[in-house]
Amino acid sequence: MKTPAMYAIVAGLVLTTGLTEAQEKTPPPPDLVTRECSTCHGLRGISVSPMFPNLAGQQAVYLETQLKAFRDRSRADPHAQAFMWGMAAQLTDSTITAIAAYFAAQPPAPGKPAGREESAAGKKIYEEGIPAQQVPACGSCHGEKAAGNAVFPRLAGQHRAYLERQLAAFISNARANEIMHENSKNLTALQISQLAAFLSAE
Amino acid sequence: MRIKGFVVAMLVPVVAILIAVAATPPFVPTPASATPGFARQTGVSCQACHTVFPELTPFGRKFKLNAYVFTNVKELQATDEQGQRTTLSLSDLPPISVMLQGSNTTLGRGVPDAGVAGELSQQNSTQFPQALSLFYTGKISDNLGAFLQLTWEPSSDSVGIDNSDLRFAAHTSLDRIGVSDFIYGLTVNNNPTSQDVWNSTPAWGYPFLTTNVGVPPIASTLLDGQLAQESVGFGGYLFLFNHLYVELSGYRSAQTSFTNTTTGGPGPLDSTSPLPRISGVAPYWRVAWEQDWDNHSLSFGTYGISAQVHPNGIPESGPRNTFTDIALDGQYQYITDAHIVSAAMTWIHENQKYNNRALSDHEKNWLDTVRVTGSYFFKRKVGGYAQLFSTTGSRDFTLYCSPSTYATAPSPVCPGADTGTPSLLLGSANGKPTTQGATFEINYLPWLNTKLGLQYTMYSKFNGRQNNYDGFGRNASENNFLYVYVWTAF
Repeated sequence: MKTPAMYAIVAGLVLTTGLTEAQEKTPPPPDLVTRECSTCHGLRGISVSPMFPNLAGQQAVYLETQLKAFRDRSRADPHAQAFMWGMAAQLTDSTITAIAAYFAAQPPAPGKPAGREESAAGKKIYEEGIPAQQVPACGSCHGEKAAGNAVFPRLAGQHRAYLERQLAAFISNARANEIMHENSKNLTALQISQLAAFLSAE
Repeated sequence: MRIKGFVVAMLVPVVAILIAVAATPPFVPTPASATPGFARQTGVSCQACHTVFPELTPFGRKFKLNAYVFTNVKELQATDEQGQRTTLSLSDLPPISVMLQGSNTTLGRGVPDAGVAGELSQQNSTQFPQALSLFYTGKISDNLGAFLQLTWEPSSDSVGIDNSDLRFAAHTSLDRIGVSDFIYGLTVNNNPTSQDVWNSTPAWGYPFLTTNVGVPPIASTLLDGQLAQESVGFGGYLFLFNHLYVELSGYRSAQTSFTNTTTGGPGPLDSTSPLPRISGVAPYWRVAWEQDWDNHSLSFGTYGISAQVHPNGIPESGPRNTFTDIALDGQYQYITDAHIVSAAMTWIHENQKYNNRALSDHEKNWLDTVRVTGSYFFKRKVGGYAQLFSTTGSRDFTLYCSPSTYATAPSPVCPGADTGTPSLLLGSANGKPTTQGATFEINYLPWLNTKLGLQYTMYSKFNGRQNNYDGFGRNASENNFLYVYVWTAF
């Protein structure tokens, strides 16, 4: 009985994990992605921990810009310093282009369900902004579906906690970005939470 | 001075120091300046690999499984003539670091004075350093890396190899059978479980640092440190599906500071070796599954070893005892920037078969060791640990050095023969190995690479009993100890 039981266990493991990934016919990742990036961001750019952003389907131009900003240390929020300054230190321009192209070509992460009311409130901010607080509509740059455009990153399907942390970093200027600082500085904690809930569910 | 009085006496300056440190302007860690070897090589801060050192995060586990080769520094490189294979890949800056541990231990009651019968030693012992280590930790070549630790311990005035691990790792995939990218590797190390990547197994399990001047319990399983730095293991492992770890290794005795009396040099081990010797190769196995989701990481698994052992003094042709350890373990982690919660447990069951009957009353004995640990840290700065521990086993008066048995039939491995007071302090009067208790610890980390600790260990039973466990009037609680330490690596 032992042998059939072992085959069943192995077959089960293969069917539930490896096979499904192997069946997704996508180009093989660059070696660096397999060995290093995937440890936090996932082999296909979808990360497990919300401490690390999803990269799948992200705008290639945005990814290149960020990797170069990590490399030259101009992006200096705490996580950038702790993790990405080192990671990007020795990247060449051509490697950056290859990594960005790979992740940009991956299918984006599906949205995670969020509360209906907070999502609706977040959607309203995203689409209409809050004129009374001088907050412009996010969608005017990030796109109607929050898929991003060139230097404007994709936000749809991103981890909620990551989005919240980035907005907080823009507001505090820990992540220096004049436009995003101006756009987000008047958001309340509740509004940030609502926006992140909506975007992570998209 | 009793423990209570000492706690108050020690708490005042410790709290004062903590307040003084906390009141200084906040320290902003920079990745390059506050972290040792691995950080120097990777350019990544401690928190990538550690929750609070030395416990590993999921990223730290991957880094170890990948043979410590991930690097972000400039390298001196060479390739073959076709330019297709890297033949040399050396860091410009070697990943070298230093670790310093200093401590103060206060026992519940001093141990018997070795020179004057009826007198006690000092109750308190200060060690600075308790240990001083030099590390080479990092990449050797593209797929080869090392964790090498050389430690000087003033208490024994010796320099020796500490936990060491040399490993090869590579990635491949078997798409034809549906197995996507996985890691395969080889390890050579000197302590079973030191190659493990979870902190629920003995070598890297809690307590990560504790006193070396306390009274050691008489019984522990083979996997629980008995082979540490006195064996060498070679094995292979797979990390499949990003979840499943499988390892098979073999261990042989490799005792340090052993001189073969016939050759006068470091010859093969024989009956004069000071420690038991593994006969042939002892197989070690490990299977574990890790499941990560959101900020959570959960793992559970099994590990074990089966060894045939010659006791010291017994020739190679003599009878061998058999020890089989089968263990279960599990670990849970919740990791965010603000809050880190960890829990770990292990249970080790050991079956012992004594073919050498001079050592025990019974041919068969058993031991069970259980440890359950929980910890919490706030912003990797303030936190602590709590652990319940228990070792139980079958009664054996000879094996556990009961003074009554020792007086008539002294076991060659029991202490006390040369002091005239067999089994004083270290033996078990009722022949039971039971040692149970708890450890509590609070910590402050002014920087990610420096840990201050206040640890208290209390025993409800020691070597079989709560009171008069050694038959000479020593109580379990008299072995309780308060341990204050500083631990830094740079």
